[in-house]
Amino acid sequence: MTFWNFARKSALRKPLRSALLIVSVAMTFLIYGLTAGFVAGSQGTAAASDELLGVMNAAGRGQPLPMAYLSRIAALPGVADVSPITRLRGSVGDARNVVAVSAGDPDKLLAVSGADLGLTPSLIDALKSRRDKVLVGQSLAQAQGWKTGDSLTVTAFRTKKDDGSRDWRFEIAGIFEGKNASTDTHFILAQYEYINKARARGIDTVWAFALRPEPGMAAQDLAPQIDALFANSAAPTRTMSEKQFLSAFLSQYADVKRVITLVVGVSFVTLLMIVINTMVFALRERRFEIGVLKTLGFRSPQILLLVLAEALFVFVVGGAIGLVVAKLISLATPPALGLVIGAQVSLRTIALILLLGFVAGLLPALSAMRTPILAAFRTR
Amino acid sequence: MTISEKDIPFIALNGVSKTYRSGSERLPIFAGLDLSIGKGEFIAVMGPSGSGKSTLLNLLAGIDQADSGSIQIGGQRLDQMGEAARSAWRAQHMGIVFQFYNLLPMLTAAENVELPLLLKSISGRVRRERVSKVLDIVGLNGRGRQSPTKMSGGQQQRVGIARAIVADPTLLLCDEPTGDLDRKSADQVLAMLGFLNRELGKTIIMVTHDPEAAAQAGRTLHLDKGVFVEDEQVMA
Repeated sequence: MTFWNFARKSALRKPLRSALLIVSVAMTFLIYGLTAGFVAGSQGTAAASDELLGVMNAAGRGQPLPMAYLSRIAALPGVADVSPITRLRGSVGDARNVVAVSAGDPDKLLAVSGADLGLTPSLIDALKSRRDKVLVGQSLAQAQGWKTGDSLTVTAFRTKKDDGSRDWRFEIAGIFEGKNASTDTHFILAQYEYINKARARGIDTVWAFALRPEPGMAAQDLAPQIDALFANSAAPTRTMSEKQFLSAFLSQYADVKRVITLVVGVSFVTLLMIVINTMVFALRERRFEIGVLKTLGFRSPQILLLVLAEALFVFVVGGAIGLVVAKLISLATPPALGLVIGAQVSLRTIALILLLGFVAGLLPALSAMRTPILAAFRTR
Repeated sequence: MTISEKDIPFIALNGVSKTYRSGSERLPIFAGLDLSIGKGEFIAVMGPSGSGKSTLLNLLAGIDQADSGSIQIGGQRLDQMGEAARSAWRAQHMGIVFQFYNLLPMLTAAENVELPLLLKSISGRVRRERVSKVLDIVGLNGRGRQSPTKMSGGQQQRVGIARAIVADPTLLLCDEPTGDLDRKSADQVLAMLGFLNRELGKTIIMVTHDPEAAAQAGRTLHLDKGVFVEDEQVMA
């Protein structure tokens, strides 16, 4: 028997109580794993790029920018490729079945976002084969049951065609899969020229320009240069990375990260109170036993370590269960849900498990350490 | 005439005083107690309840401290040690046998016996060998994997004795080791203590109410109101 084995057996001396404690810890870290995975995934922090830049109207995301900016941005030193982007949001079939269409220059899209979206030259060729051809992200295609060759009609919420209709007919030229499971592929890629020429208003304007800096050019250095270029124009720009954009986009509705931090923080505090309370009571029942151990020669620091190890055992087992279940859920759910439990989330969770195990064990451990032997013996 | 090892005081209490506080009053337990015990002696301490037997054992174990006087064991002043040093001293030199065994129910018999060895820097293999050896001495070899909760009182006390001697201490303190046992089990435990004293040279101090248990000891000290009123020596 090792000291750790002794701590493990002590922690499991009341199997039901230990099991309930472990389940509480597992549930807490399951919640944490899922929420941290959501922040890392849906917020785009895992999949979104720090290198891709988006140039938008500084007055707001709803405001367009003139297409004429394209050549000026493209001419700026350090810009590798730039594509105009216009958006079209609408429904397919059922009015509640909302889809998003992003339209760009096919060749420039390949250069700017090809690696991230999993675009290939053959997909781009298929896209370019007719003006109403589109590429559909794998996540959306799966959700809608669409396949290459299918036709679909998007009824736009705002963007009217020059004939007054809001119905935009497309044919699926291919499915793009994204770089990895965390890449957002829940949208349609169309051609800018098609949308631009057919729409009734906003011709030769863009919602944004997507650009990729040249290798060696830092995105954060290029962004202010672009904004400076249009600072005194009628439509000043605001340039930010894809990651910054997604984060800012979500924070229009709420500071998701802060809300999640608060919810998880409250659950951790509750868990700590439950575990500390249970451990303090459990140790009160074991005061006599602590007295026996001290009589056998266990010194105060060893008693402290023993109780800390017991708390750590409960947290390590429960936390590991919670993290593994969260990981399994993230693998089982569709990428559109945006749960990404990668190395960073896992390491942060492990650090939290150890920290909270230590914190939860400290109070009972100090109490056990300070218990005088004779006072412990009087408890029987 | 030669001086034997038993004639040299292994344990020496000089002028030990101890009082307990009860509300605003102080209850005297010992007032200048003197005691001398030679190495390898088997001492029984008898006396009525409240006479100070348990306090004496607690002082000798270093789990309580005297108000004044000196307590010297094996040449070391226990009364001058700090708590950590007394813990280390107990782990090194002392084994304690409790009336109610005080075994940990979540551990097997062998793991209970192994507990004091966790405090020593010895390998798992050596620990297991020593546990097996002492379980053999107490007649429980082959029962190491059994839970103490499934053992009889006599067997549990033998596990308690094995735990007390596994670290090879020089001094065994026994607090009414037969107080919770039937006569047959009590006799087996007493025979074992006698063996440890005679064959392994352990110095044993046993607090007991049982005259038959005391009869196993080489010397019986009668304590009453904190004073030794009689010192019976059994001539071998």
